[in-house]
Amino acid sequence: MPSSTRVLIFIFLTLIALASPFLVAGNRFIAFILGMTFIGILWSSGMNLLYGFVGLMPMMFGGIAGIAAYTMVYLTQGQGWSFWLATPAAALLSASIGVVLGLPSLRLKGFYFALCSLVIQSVITLAFIYFTQFTNGDVGITQIPPPDWFFGERLNGIQFDFLLALVAVIGVVATMVISYSRLGKRLVAIREDDVLAATLGINVLGNRSIAFFIVSIYAAVGGCLYATYVGFISPRAFDVLLSLNVWLFVAFGGRGTIIGPVLGALILAPLPFLLQELQAFKDVISGILIIVVTLIMPAGIYGEFLRRKKRWMAGAARGATSDTHSAAKQ
Amino acid sequence: VSDTILIVLVSTISTGLILGAIFSLVAAGVTIVYGCVWLPNASNGQFFLLAALIAWSLTTSFGWHSASAAVAVFAMGIAFSFLLEWVLIRRLYDVPDRNIAYFVVTLGLTQIMSGVFSLTYGVWSDQFTLPPLLNGITMIGGFPMTNNRIAVLLIGYGLLGSLFLLLRFHKYGRALRAVFQNRESAALRGVDVQFTYKLSFVLGNSIVFLGGVLFALAYSFDLTVAWTMSVTAFAIMIIGGPGSVLGALVVGLVFGFTQAIVSVFASPTAATFSYLGVMLVMLLLRPQGLFSR
Repeated sequence: MPSSTRVLIFIFLTLIALASPFLVAGNRFIAFILGMTFIGILWSSGMNLLYGFVGLMPMMFGGIAGIAAYTMVYLTQGQGWSFWLATPAAALLSASIGVVLGLPSLRLKGFYFALCSLVIQSVITLAFIYFTQFTNGDVGITQIPPPDWFFGERLNGIQFDFLLALVAVIGVVATMVISYSRLGKRLVAIREDDVLAATLGINVLGNRSIAFFIVSIYAAVGGCLYATYVGFISPRAFDVLLSLNVWLFVAFGGRGTIIGPVLGALILAPLPFLLQELQAFKDVISGILIIVVTLIMPAGIYGEFLRRKKRWMAGAARGATSDTHSAAKQ
Repeated sequence: VSDTILIVLVSTISTGLILGAIFSLVAAGVTIVYGCVWLPNASNGQFFLLAALIAWSLTTSFGWHSASAAVAVFAMGIAFSFLLEWVLIRRLYDVPDRNIAYFVVTLGLTQIMSGVFSLTYGVWSDQFTLPPLLNGITMIGGFPMTNNRIAVLLIGYGLLGSLFLLLRFHKYGRALRAVFQNRESAALRGVDVQFTYKLSFVLGNSIVFLGGVLFALAYSFDLTVAWTMSVTAFAIMIIGGPGSVLGALVVGLVFGFTQAIVSVFASPTAATFSYLGVMLVMLLLRPQGLFSR
């Protein structure tokens, strides 16, 4: 269970997050970046469950988000559903598709799982391009309206930003709850040694599937929010680069921690919008970041911070004990 | 009518042979690196494209002959691989789960290289064609075939043969296979494992470069070939068995013919789609591949 200081810090950060849409309300550009960052936080918290806690790298993350986004758009525009009904339906559907597609590969570990999910991602991307009656192909679907609201209204800018902040906070809280729950403990046990976990009576495949389903829900909800927030979706928006980007948020921030992926998304998600002049180099920069993180900071910035803190505390403790020793001698 | 069918058949066979040689070469390069260094090179398609693009620049912009351009690209490939090994690859030799770390690193490399290509070559042109190695046409049993393609075919199979002989009989090839089979006992028997890693990385990548040059000599290409090649090489490696050069050669030839036959009836994307499908089935049912030891 978290300590009281941690709870206080968490409440403080939550309040800041929920208040931020109102603080930046005057500037639509900054507000938009903030909204995209909240979607990034939601996505990276979800990816963290699988990459940080189970140790699997789901490269089909973007594809699942895309399936949900296209389904949601089809249900709202084609069938006249409300956004609030279409999103859970789309999320459940795409998470189920994700589990069905991913179930066989969940038996694999490490590189083979990553490769398998990359292949699935490629198939999904190809499907988005070829099933033009649903997706409009490479052209994409434009002018997706924001979510509907009471009395035939649509959510306005600030309301939508607040919704995103709220969903991001719920997402982070949910990962926190899961990480402290028995499920979270089982997932970590599987990550550390799946054979040992299985001999201890943990259903490895079952727990992995549950985690994968939850992660797919995160991906899907984020995808639906993305579609309505940006107002435009295309196969390119949900290709493997999205999976890699969200992976980078998690790895850069610190996998397997709660705050790490949030930090990663906070730092990296706004970058492409703030560095407009470098837009053309976006892929190059993120590629360089991926390599740097893997080589130099495999634990991410927060993991690195924890490591230094631990070493510093150990050093301080050793200093303290040697002091008492010398005091005892005198 | 039967004449047309025969011509289609012969051209399909020749395309299958050329594509098969190129696929086998690239997949052999990828599988050597994976089997030895445990490095699944997701950016092999970008290296392939890099070689083709450099050859294009040398011939088109600098007016070199295709043959000298091919040799120069091969030399550059070796230098580039040594540099990459020295800057990047050697830093992860001791990481326990290094195949996933390498996978991520090469995905990053893919992003960097494809970004650079679309900012440079992508702006200059969208279709790249090299001047032929040889001019003229030879009639083989009544069927015309360009000398250029015959040359590419012969070079491709010559390279495959020499690669096979190198791995089979040369001291380095034996060390490489020893490291494939068991790193620790290879080290105990006096094999310098780190040095073998380095050589394998350079060898594997240089072969990928050669495949790129041969492809550029035989066909015109665009920037999307990188992604297709990456998928194909990985599919061949997984199906043939990671680390199995024989598997890469056999499955590479099969894939070359599949591509040639499918291209007659449908788009090449259909072939890519089927590779993805077969690779998926293979990963799920028999991740160790068909030709694993």
